Amino acid sequence: MDWLSRHYQQQITYDELVGEDAIPRPAAAPLFDYLSTLGSNELLARRQAANAAILAMGITFTVYSEAGNIDRAWPFDIIPRILPRREWMHIEEGLKQRLQALNLFINDLYNEQHIVADGIFPAEVLAGSHNYRDACRGVHPPFGVWAHICGSDLVRDADGTIYVLEDNLRVPSGVSYMLENRQIMKRLFPELFKSCTILPVDDYPNRLYETLAALSPRGAERPLVTVLTPGIYNSAYFEHSYLAQQMGAYLAEGTDFFVGHDDVVYLKTISGPQRVDVIYRRIDDDYLDPEIFRPDSALGIPGLLRAWRRGTVAIANTPGAGVADDKVVYAFVPEIIRYYLDAEPILPNVPTYLCMRDADRNYVLNHLDTLVVKPANESGGYGMLIGPRATPDERARFAELIQANPRNYIAQPTLNISTAPTLVGSHLEARHLDLRPFILQADRMYVTTGGLTRVAMQPGSLVVNSSQGGGSKDTWIVDEEASCFRE
Amino acid sequence: MLSRVAENLYWMARYLERTEDMARLINATTLLLLDLPQGAQFGWDILLQVTGDAKLYTEHYGVPEEGRIMRFLIADERHPNSLMAAIHQARENCRTFRDVLPADFWERLNVLFLFVRENAGSSSDSRHGRYAFLNEVIARRHALVGLLIGSMSQDNVYQFIKLGRNMERADMTTRIVDVTSAVILPQDQGLQNATGSSLWLGVLRALSAFEMYRRHVSVQVRSNQVVDYLLKDSKFPRSMKCCLGEMEVALAHLPNAGIPAEAVRRARRRLDTLKLADLRPDLLHEYLDQAQKDLAVVHRTIEGVYFARDDARFDAASNGLHLSAVQA
Repeated sequence: MDWLSRHYQQQITYDELVGEDAIPRPAAAPLFDYLSTLGSNELLARRQAANAAILAMGITFTVYSEAGNIDRAWPFDIIPRILPRREWMHIEEGLKQRLQALNLFINDLYNEQHIVADGIFPAEVLAGSHNYRDACRGVHPPFGVWAHICGSDLVRDADGTIYVLEDNLRVPSGVSYMLENRQIMKRLFPELFKSCTILPVDDYPNRLYETLAALSPRGAERPLVTVLTPGIYNSAYFEHSYLAQQMGAYLAEGTDFFVGHDDVVYLKTISGPQRVDVIYRRIDDDYLDPEIFRPDSALGIPGLLRAWRRGTVAIANTPGAGVADDKVVYAFVPEIIRYYLDAEPILPNVPTYLCMRDADRNYVLNHLDTLVVKPANESGGYGMLIGPRATPDERARFAELIQANPRNYIAQPTLNISTAPTLVGSHLEARHLDLRPFILQADRMYVTTGGLTRVAMQPGSLVVNSSQGGGSKDTWIVDEEASCFRE
Repeated sequence: MLSRVAENLYWMARYLERTEDMARLINATTLLLLDLPQGAQFGWDILLQVTGDAKLYTEHYGVPEEGRIMRFLIADERHPNSLMAAIHQARENCRTFRDVLPADFWERLNVLFLFVRENAGSSSDSRHGRYAFLNEVIARRHALVGLLIGSMSQDNVYQFIKLGRNMERADMTTRIVDVTSAVILPQDQGLQNATGSSLWLGVLRALSAFEMYRRHVSVQVRSNQVVDYLLKDSKFPRSMKCCLGEMEVALAHLPNAGIPAEAVRRARRRLDTLKLADLRPDLLHEYLDQAQKDLAVVHRTIEGVYFARDDARFDAASNGLHLSAVQA
């Protein structure tokens, strides 16, 4: 593979597309065959075409700090990330197992709390949870499911093991970019899609709609499903609008709803009030209902919790589902799986030190230079310490933070997460990446085919979050056994 | 349809129409002024009078001058009626309801916005470049309208777009007629004065009405006939009468349309009683003033019936009562 060795030498850890001695992994071989026929000018022209398409399609995300310029084009790398289908099926099983256990766990916490009584999950962790909502106690949502949409972040370490890094159970975002990335790639490289068995991703909106519709409290044939958005200034507004459009659901803001004197939720339409069956909310719990949570929230729907508790409306994810979206709870997930499913976890957790435990905390404080420290309840990559890259001052500051509030911090060994070739300037360079698949659960379960691959665009960086300059790649699950590739 | 979406659709349609109207107005005025002798009784500032923004212009730019007026009307976002501001508003409105329109629509509108943002600044540098730029804006806006006509169900979404478009058109037509007649009529005793007829010619061009006028009314351009045509013709799509008719049709497709439909009919009855044969400048101005007020009432009733979103009004309706309009 001449072309590849000429264009891509860096092997700093496990590479998703390239194995030992610069030989492409089997699933990626046809891609490199194809790229070598293109020539670098053509490759750059395709990238330019991709950027033009992104601008024209208006695929954007929002960065808060850039005043006046509320949306930014979605940064996209045209070299796909490829996984063989056989490996993917294993991951898919692991994700389903995980979400099933997490939902049993959440349901238990808001009802009988067997897991606490049986001494598996410590009462003090529950007591210290920011995301546990007393207002949700005693509620029995349909199918016992609280987290209907979960985005779990996966990373691969240098030895090839795939770990679950976190489970986003509040309002995970990114799925629209997964769908749009595929649209762009199909526009850009139709030849590849003709000759490869790349599994399609585009049934997600239908599956999402089915998941939401299954929650409808009324047996209506076509339930009224809404997407509740905070509005155009939210970083994920593009996605809210995109999903509503794809599902044929109403895209609505808090002020478009009201809760009637009958504890039923209605939309304000030109023909008068219309009863709402399901709300796919993309607003955090805190802002959901000013009567129960933050009274100053102008984004939510006053009285919504009242209606939900009475069962006149379904909310996805339910209020309170975020209790399991906590990096301390994360450490217990393997135990949670064993407890509820009586099975071993299919996908491993990253080993996690809980600073609330004396022994763990001492270890963490003595090994800050090798660990990654994360606050329990932040998302978007904020408030983290990457020990090996931090200055002594930064490490000292984190030591203080940990001692002041141990419950709020966990630490993990710094993984040498995998890379993939990424087009930088006019050549390929290794960049670290992760993968966020989305898992749906109502009466049935569904996992996206692949997910959103996020890539850290800075050399050596491990931060893939789009809010911090990360980019993305299309993710291909390829069926090597089907008559793939070579014509 | 959500009340908020209805409101945003209506405004998007108004802003898009405003974009095109502004582009036409500037191009037609440019062609016209090129034909006029030095020291004619009006100049570039007539554009400011039509849009009603002379005061804001003076605050930012001082003395009227072609290049600065163009920058103000085309590229200056501090000016809420500028072409740049209008297309930007249209795009921001569209972002809130991409889900109800054909997918291509957003993409084309977004591309039009990017095109204007890219070129608006430099377009005011030369007349030639400006002309080409504005023509391109008009053409792309036509493509947007064509997309809607060709691929959209004539559902409620479509009706709100139609309402917004015709409201903005009627507003523009009445403004143009008002300003033009104020400039010409006082001096124009015989209605045959060369300046007068060329100015009306410019107006007809600005409204793309010249060919239709010539075919259906007269080869000669006469004040009273042009005014009559632009206000009362029942077939020309930019006449006041036609716009009111279109709004009435749109409302007939919408629920709870009683109050706004009555407001439209009231405006049309007043238009029907207007006699333009013995046109007197002061009477015309008085009528046009009233016509603007009538349009404002139509706008407020549409707002009250469809856009208002106070909980109490809706909660009463969920109790089995009918949705009542917030009175304009």
